[in-house]
Amino acid sequence: MKPRSRIAITGLGLVTPLGHDAKSTWESLVAGRSGVDRIKGFDASGFIAQIGAEVKDFRAEALIPDRKLLKYASRSCRFALAAAAEALADAGIQPQPSTSERWGCSLGAGMMGVSFDEVKAVHAFCGEGGGFRPDGLLDNDFPADPVAFCRSQTNNGLALLTRHFGIRGYSTAVHTACASGGQALGTALKVMRRRQADFMLVGGYDSMLNPIGLSGFCLLGALSTDNDLPERASRPFDASRNGFVLGEGAGFLVLEHWEAARQRGAHIYAELAGDGNSLSCYRITDSHPSGDGPIQAIQQALADAEMTPKDIDYVNAHGTSTLMNDRSECAALRVAMGDQVDRVLVSSTKSCMGHLIAAAGAVEAAVCALAIRHGIAPVNANLTQPDPACAVNIVREKSQRQRIRAAISNSFGFGGSNSCVAFRSPEEVDARLSSKSLAIP
Amino acid sequence: MNATGHLVITGAGAVCGAGLTIDAIWNAIRHGRSAIAPITQWDVSAWPARFAAELTGIDNKALVDDRKLHKIISRTDLFGLYAAGVAIRQSGLIAHREALQPDAAEHFADRSGVFVGSGGGTYQNTYDFFPLLSAAEGSLPVFGRELAGTVNPMWLLKHLPNNVLCHVGIRHGFKGTNACITNQCVGGAMAVAEAASAIRSGEADRAVAVGHDAPIEPETVFHYHRLGLLSSSTLRPFDRERSGTVFGEGAAAVILEKADDARARGATILGEFLGSGCVTEGTGLLDVRPDGDGMARAIQIALQDASVAPESIGLVVAHGNGTRHSDASEAEGIRRVFNGRLPPVTAFKWAFGHLIAGSGVIDMVLALSALREGFVPGIPTLNSLDPDIGPFPVSSKAQTPGSRIGLICCRGFSAMNVALVVRAEPQATVA
Repeated sequence: MKPRSRIAITGLGLVTPLGHDAKSTWESLVAGRSGVDRIKGFDASGFIAQIGAEVKDFRAEALIPDRKLLKYASRSCRFALAAAAEALADAGIQPQPSTSERWGCSLGAGMMGVSFDEVKAVHAFCGEGGGFRPDGLLDNDFPADPVAFCRSQTNNGLALLTRHFGIRGYSTAVHTACASGGQALGTALKVMRRRQADFMLVGGYDSMLNPIGLSGFCLLGALSTDNDLPERASRPFDASRNGFVLGEGAGFLVLEHWEAARQRGAHIYAELAGDGNSLSCYRITDSHPSGDGPIQAIQQALADAEMTPKDIDYVNAHGTSTLMNDRSECAALRVAMGDQVDRVLVSSTKSCMGHLIAAAGAVEAAVCALAIRHGIAPVNANLTQPDPACAVNIVREKSQRQRIRAAISNSFGFGGSNSCVAFRSPEEVDARLSSKSLAIP
Repeated sequence: MNATGHLVITGAGAVCGAGLTIDAIWNAIRHGRSAIAPITQWDVSAWPARFAAELTGIDNKALVDDRKLHKIISRTDLFGLYAAGVAIRQSGLIAHREALQPDAAEHFADRSGVFVGSGGGTYQNTYDFFPLLSAAEGSLPVFGRELAGTVNPMWLLKHLPNNVLCHVGIRHGFKGTNACITNQCVGGAMAVAEAASAIRSGEADRAVAVGHDAPIEPETVFHYHRLGLLSSSTLRPFDRERSGTVFGEGAAAVILEKADDARARGATILGEFLGSGCVTEGTGLLDVRPDGDGMARAIQIALQDASVAPESIGLVVAHGNGTRHSDASEAEGIRRVFNGRLPPVTAFKWAFGHLIAGSGVIDMVLALSALREGFVPGIPTLNSLDPDIGPFPVSSKAQTPGSRIGLICCRGFSAMNVALVVRAEPQATVA
């Protein structure tokens, strides 16, 4: 059997509540600045949760000069197009007609397709009390819009990205709720290792910051209702935490085979070294208090990356700031990290940018790559009274400068889908490669 | 052949308008019976596209025997859970696990994967908000305040695209590597391909792969028809008079495992999974290339993955969705690979409509039936092959497969193309 291919991350792009690119997002994370505020995109004053981490003042037209394309792109797809364009520019490589069949695309796509305006347009043709009247659609006055239909389809993001960037290889869209971004990374890693692609554009994108998306989480009681202290509302691992803050955005990465990336002189952020993926098989909304499920995902990711807990310097936690998740995740880390758990730095960057749902895993993967690049573990903001049930080594008060040899990123979704992705610094890869070559007699 | 050994199919389940078992569906197809009929879920008397292959008169509790579960899943999930349950039961894996020691049973669970191609109406979940919109009378603050008393608190959970994934895990104790693919029509076919890849690469020892969908909802029917994708009469794949596709609903599932494991536990082997290919044409959501580029490349990749030469393929199950552009370009793509030496080609959607995310898996399950029995069903709605398509070995009459190896083609929005290659086991019987 051929040796397994090593996969390099050579480009990053971010559109987040903290900024419209990777640089501004990273600077805000390092400074511990919050992107959470009262929701401005619509009047949320009647909801129990009135705060969110919105992407502010975003104008896709300035970043993607293709008005026809943007007409077909929902808000979250616009984030995706902008973040993907940044990642490709950062990598310094683009699909060409001669390479397009060898470029793949793997996306963690959000679950909401139909915009609130479209829902209202159909509602206008409903009967008394909101009873749906299908014949209303046949009414001559009904504003049937084929472009809106396209925007609503689950793989429309895939259609827009592959068409705009000229990708013609393996392409997929996945959704495992809040684990979607991590799952997309894992899928991309496997596709590359199987050599079904030479390059992958991989990412996650989502926006549920609209009346219906916000409703979904309000109904479940999952959101922080600290409406008067928006920037303090997301406080993962704090004893007083009371729910997550809904965010939006996109994160994209460009993957290449390691040797090919080296040969073309690409700048490599990190190795995408391993993936772990499990089901908790417990309950739909709750995580198992013991960490069962996440434990297997973390252990698999380490084994897949040929790492032990001793190799890990940083964990980007799922850390949603809900009571259950944070406890369960810490229980999982204590088991999976074993005697290294008090050494390994842990932070949840959701403390600053909120929970980006299907985009979270991909955005946080990019954060891990940046943490390795800069040698900084970003701060877990808003932690004043650590929950004794969250006994891990959390990066408190300010970001910590430290060489990061390897990092992992956790993402856990409703339904018990667990994802863990592992990253290794280029220096560690080089050290491994030279020690391996020395071992050959 | 892959170094990690052969992959076999040891369980299968399907449900659609043509029946609740693979045998019932296969019999309907063999006898030329179509389940396409006027839609019953709402009054379609004024609708221009009135037909679909619905699952009518079904007892939800007979499909999934968990009363509480019905409150937190949607129609599409019901079908997926049912098909997965049938496949898992048929495989005998649960009885096998129950005979294991606790440690071994835990390891078994962690090494059992779940791969789902998930589809559901895009619009159905928004209908739940119409009463609240009426109550709010255009005021968002009122919308927010009245929310809790008006909309089901479990609304979000009910519409999670990964419901089948997690409930298959919970119900059957499969805890291993997994994926929920939301790539529209090709989701199910990709779930099978990813399940196979996970076992080959050692991430799992066995996996269930499911494709499920329930697209028959007013807005989806309305928009598809407006876009010229839906027929107002019937589905005639490759026919000169074809006028579009017709929706179906349902699901199919298969169990894949290592051949050595299956033989060691004495499982019935239905067939072998040989390979897959997956590409996009990169032409956007609705456009496809007339030259069949994506279909041809997906087939070539699948044949290479399977280490099978084109002349060894004994049957092609085409996507054949009945739309003008897809059928023509699909035939062109298939022909390019086979260089004029085509095995018999058929398609099944005339019998139970287009299952969207479920389409690839149900076609694969039925391809195994056709290969096993050595019988390629004719397409009764095919009156006259489209002369613009050119020579193409589809027929309204039954044909005989040239071997026990079949190729399944699956296409979807975003110019996706997936091909699967399977070999049927001649002696297997389907319970």
